[in-house]
Amino acid sequence: MSDKKPIIPPNGEGISNGTRRDFIKQTTVLTAVAMAPGTVVKAASDHIDEQIAAVFEKMPLKMEVNGKLQNLSVEPRSTLLDILREQLDLTGTKKGCDHGQCGACTVHVDGHRVNSCLTLGVMVNGKKITTIEGLAKGDELHPMQEAFLKHDGFQCGYCTPGQIMSAVACIREGHANSEGEIREYMSGNICRCGAYPNIVNAIQEVKAGGQTV
Amino acid sequence: MKQFQYIRPASQAAVLDAIAKSGSKIIAGGTNLVDLMKKGVMSPDKLVDINSLPLNTINTSPKGLHIGALVLNSVLSENSLVLDKHPLLSMALKAGASPQLRNMATVGGNMMQRTRCAYFYDTTMPCNKRTPGTGCGAMGGYNRMHAIFGSSPQCIAVHPSDMCVALAALGATVTIAGKKGERHIPFTEFHRLPGEHPEMDNHLATGEMILGVDIPDNNFAKNSYYLKVRDRQSYAFALVSVAAALDLRGGVIKEARLAMGGVAHKPWRLFDAEKFLAGKAPTEENFNKAAQLAMQSAKAYEYNAFKLKLAPATIAEALKHAGGLA
Amino acid sequence: MNKPIPTSADGMSRVDGRAKVTGAAKYSAEYNQPNMAYAVLVGSTITKGTVATIDTKAASAAPGVLAVLTYLNSPKVPGHIPTKAQKPSSKSGPLKVFYDNKILYNGHPIAMVVADTFERAQYGASLVKATYNKEAHDTQPPKNITQGVGAWGGKDFTKGTVDAWKTAPIKLEQEYTHPSDVHNPMELHAIIARWDTPDKLTVWDKTQGTQATRDDIAKAFKLKKEDVQVNSQFVGGAFGSALQVWPHEVAAILGAQVVKRPVKLVLSRPDMFTSVGYRPYTWQKIGIGATTDGKLVGITHEAVGQTSSFEDFAEGPINTSKGLYASPNITTRYKLLSLDVNTPTWMRGPGEATGAFALESAMDELSYALKMDPIDLRMKNYAKTDPDNGKEYSSKFLDEAYAMGAAQIGWENRQAQPRAASQNGWLVGYGMAGGMFGAYRDVAVIKAMMKADGTLTIQSAVSDIGPGTGTAMVLIAANKMGIDAGKIKFEMGDSSLPDAPMQGGSATVSAVGSAVHDACTVLKEKFQQLMGNGGTDKPDYVKILKDNNLPSLEVLTKSAPGPDNQKYSMQSWSVHFVKVLVHPATGVVKIDKVACVADCGKIISPKTARSQVVGGAIGGIGMALMEEGIIDHRYGRYVNNNFADYHVPVNADIPQIDAMFVNKPDPYINPIGAKGMAEIALIGMAPAVANAVYNATGKRVRDLPITPDKLI
Repeated sequence: MSDKKPIIPPNGEGISNGTRRDFIKQTTVLTAVAMAPGTVVKAASDHIDEQIAAVFEKMPLKMEVNGKLQNLSVEPRSTLLDILREQLDLTGTKKGCDHGQCGACTVHVDGHRVNSCLTLGVMVNGKKITTIEGLAKGDELHPMQEAFLKHDGFQCGYCTPGQIMSAVACIREGHANSEGEIREYMSGNICRCGAYPNIVNAIQEVKAGGQTV
Repeated sequence: MKQFQYIRPASQAAVLDAIAKSGSKIIAGGTNLVDLMKKGVMSPDKLVDINSLPLNTINTSPKGLHIGALVLNSVLSENSLVLDKHPLLSMALKAGASPQLRNMATVGGNMMQRTRCAYFYDTTMPCNKRTPGTGCGAMGGYNRMHAIFGSSPQCIAVHPSDMCVALAALGATVTIAGKKGERHIPFTEFHRLPGEHPEMDNHLATGEMILGVDIPDNNFAKNSYYLKVRDRQSYAFALVSVAAALDLRGGVIKEARLAMGGVAHKPWRLFDAEKFLAGKAPTEENFNKAAQLAMQSAKAYEYNAFKLKLAPATIAEALKHAGGLA
Repeated sequence: MNKPIPTSADGMSRVDGRAKVTGAAKYSAEYNQPNMAYAVLVGSTITKGTVATIDTKAASAAPGVLAVLTYLNSPKVPGHIPTKAQKPSSKSGPLKVFYDNKILYNGHPIAMVVADTFERAQYGASLVKATYNKEAHDTQPPKNITQGVGAWGGKDFTKGTVDAWKTAPIKLEQEYTHPSDVHNPMELHAIIARWDTPDKLTVWDKTQGTQATRDDIAKAFKLKKEDVQVNSQFVGGAFGSALQVWPHEVAAILGAQVVKRPVKLVLSRPDMFTSVGYRPYTWQKIGIGATTDGKLVGITHEAVGQTSSFEDFAEGPINTSKGLYASPNITTRYKLLSLDVNTPTWMRGPGEATGAFALESAMDELSYALKMDPIDLRMKNYAKTDPDNGKEYSSKFLDEAYAMGAAQIGWENRQAQPRAASQNGWLVGYGMAGGMFGAYRDVAVIKAMMKADGTLTIQSAVSDIGPGTGTAMVLIAANKMGIDAGKIKFEMGDSSLPDAPMQGGSATVSAVGSAVHDACTVLKEKFQQLMGNGGTDKPDYVKILKDNNLPSLEVLTKSAPGPDNQKYSMQSWSVHFVKVLVHPATGVVKIDKVACVADCGKIISPKTARSQVVGGAIGGIGMALMEEGIIDHRYGRYVNNNFADYHVPVNADIPQIDAMFVNKPDPYINPIGAKGMAEIALIGMAPAVANAVYNATGKRVRDLPITPDKLI
């Protein structure tokens, strides 16, 4: 490669300088506030606007998480993953990449497996979420959890909740009919410890057992 | 991620109103948009969630098979009409992303996917696609994944989709809605080459939205194949991918369709190779010749010269599978 | 040879497995504290130079932002993190975060934004803008790598005659390169720092050694050791990346000091490439020669490993050549190459894995030159004593391992000629390679307490990054005490618990396991003494406590290596056999079958041991076929610092893997007879794949990884 000096361009699509005023200008729901511009500008310089804006920047989010209705107020930019981990303290769902590249954050939304890191919280309004914490029935483990234990489908355990949520979906979807099919349909969940064959064995056992998952 | 306003209109008209401004972006599955927003590559002021619109149907129509823009990639890949009429599309879909992502990603969103070029993704690097006028970081940089066809001095990025490669091969049509009404364009003319304006991935104008695609009926179902070559067996973008479809009748290729992924700014149809194969016998020799023909305008950069060998090899291999020789 | 192949269901399941499958297991970022703030790092966008200006105004004014730390306003760390480099160096040492305006590598932390939510901290971080005085940087290893390399990497080593391989009738000399590989454990490095008082600190931190981290933080912040509490109950993988305190950990502690709130800092995946270490780019050259009947005449192994401009990191790529074969003449040279990059660190099978790729590829090349079976060549040069120092081995059954692996993979199906076999249109190849790694034992202390209800609690400060330390310890205790494993609780991952070494170098079972063994031995003896008359072999612990009116009985036992650990050469051994399929047109490599055999003494926990060998093999497959951290040298910046572009194996890449053990106790290393396993599980896998690919295709790839483009 050449020794050409790097060019450091200005940032991409105009990340704004992020003052309160910018946001308020863009936000139609704040029309009422904007009618008194002097107050807003004063508030902005005093940082009081943050508290006002914080309320307006949030949106209501109603969702059922593991059978429990949650009434929340969230920023539209908050992902389901961060809401689960940071607001609901449901830390079983893991952050491994935050960009849909590893599967550690896999949860079920209305029964389907998705990457919660790429799911905006506001977009699952009214939906049913199941996380790893909602899989067992009290002390009775889900058959997939039992199978992961038996076949040692993990080492460090960090990708495990995502693997298990994905594994349950894999069977429900009808994608666990052969070892090869399981491998392909479990490839959205990276395991750096290398428990893949054990995971496949666990899924095969549950599939063969015929239990409802 | 910058704060933004989120709305979920209930009607198409309301969506079209909402996206009239350039700061607004449609969100459906969000798998690519949210990713890019987290990286600061895209920072819309307003997200317009179109999931309330009735665009998630798959049905036969006089034009062939209609697929709504909101149909999930996973649903589409398993749909019985698709499996029956256009198995190539199913194969391509299953070769893309992961089961979780396919459960989120929609047809329209897949078409709107932006390039995976590292220089596009890193806001500290030059990229004409992200920030016009800053230069192309990949040109003279790490360009192993980059284009060998149709690039411009401004941009050598590739379109990352698998689904679109199959839809290009199958001669689909895109239905687009705007304030002035609907328009239909051939799928192969939806995406564009970078030229002087790599910031534009496709011909969708501001204020327009994708309603769906239609695939005309064909006779390719028995002899089609999607071959994706990548650095690992799954969950990776293509080094090169090939959608091959043959209409084989009485030992002769009546019509051939070939498209490639991972080689250009858009799904790359191999018209010359298709023309060559028409009327020929499905032999390895003909497939190899077609593959060579397909490479006539190819041009490599420092790290992707291997594609000049890999691409024709993959074309021939895909044709062998489609033609029942492999 | 006809031992049944262990299955994934054999043996006792993990004692912490239930916590892991239910989501109850909590990792460092998951101890949310009241009033906790969130920190996000801002990395430099240039590679070398100084910060000219740094504008934090917009970030500071952004909603929810509590503080923006830079070198201009950050409190200075009173001490410094001690260097982990293997030799005192003239370099400045570990990066001092927010210390001055110098930029030492691309991604060097220049600021940290602390806010009341993660989203706000992340957005705030995007608003920090710096300008730089750029200097010319160098991140690219030069073409002529041995020129101008002067830094220390260990003394040159010679046994017998220097470069004697050149005199051999059959000889070859080849260069091999290994790119920088990144650990990328699934858990992002994370820390929650909480100041309990101005001089008392608690952290929940991803670390392989709670006490080493405690000691280093105490040193840096000039605190008393006992005033630093490090918790690391669950560690989501590390593979070496958490063997030292990194700048982000110091930054979070500083942040907590500034905002006077607990601060959580979780690295992003891109941060994982520059904020913690990685396996360094290493260039190697092997000269190897043999007599026409395959007896080695000499091996010369040269290596140059990448390090940073500010810290020397050295490892052992040349070690394998010193010890794997009985060559009468061995020469090794190892140097470091300083580049404007972040400092590398140990990554699973450090050095040795890199070195084995070169040596075991060269051995394979030699076998073809000799027209000799690769196993026969290895047996012909089988070392019965350590070629490095002449010591006797404490135990070595590598020959048995070769035979077991060969039988399992179906070595007899291998064609001696490359590109001679195919299957459904795919070329078929078989390859094998061996590995070795020193078997160590360190000092460890265990507290063991038998309670009135018959439950036994064992305590150690040790971390478990995934191998199943708790499970192995419980099994050792159950065996020694003669009680059910279900009655034993192993408490760990807490710096206030009894002393334990870091979890590294495959030495945890050897050190901590021996201490558990010793503590249980002493505890049992105490019970036997209470019984009188020499006791029985199976004391009724509950009854004895009750009879003696004791609520519990506990011991604190220190366990240390003895003279045997010096007297013998102690090594763990492995061999990997691989069958690959290579597509002749597209160059795609599929791993079809793998058989691994470990000779690492006695197997303590069959289930977790098997998983560790399987996992090591998969790590080796990643190294062989896809892993490579790529820097655009014009910018000195990574262009694949994420999981979409830095490929690690996915499920579809991996077949069933047969993991086997010789399982013969080592009589000398420690009282439990177990040697280390983590490193040898990986060492040798990459060359086994490379050798199989050669056997399939006739193409010798000497520059990892073996991606399809290199085979067409």
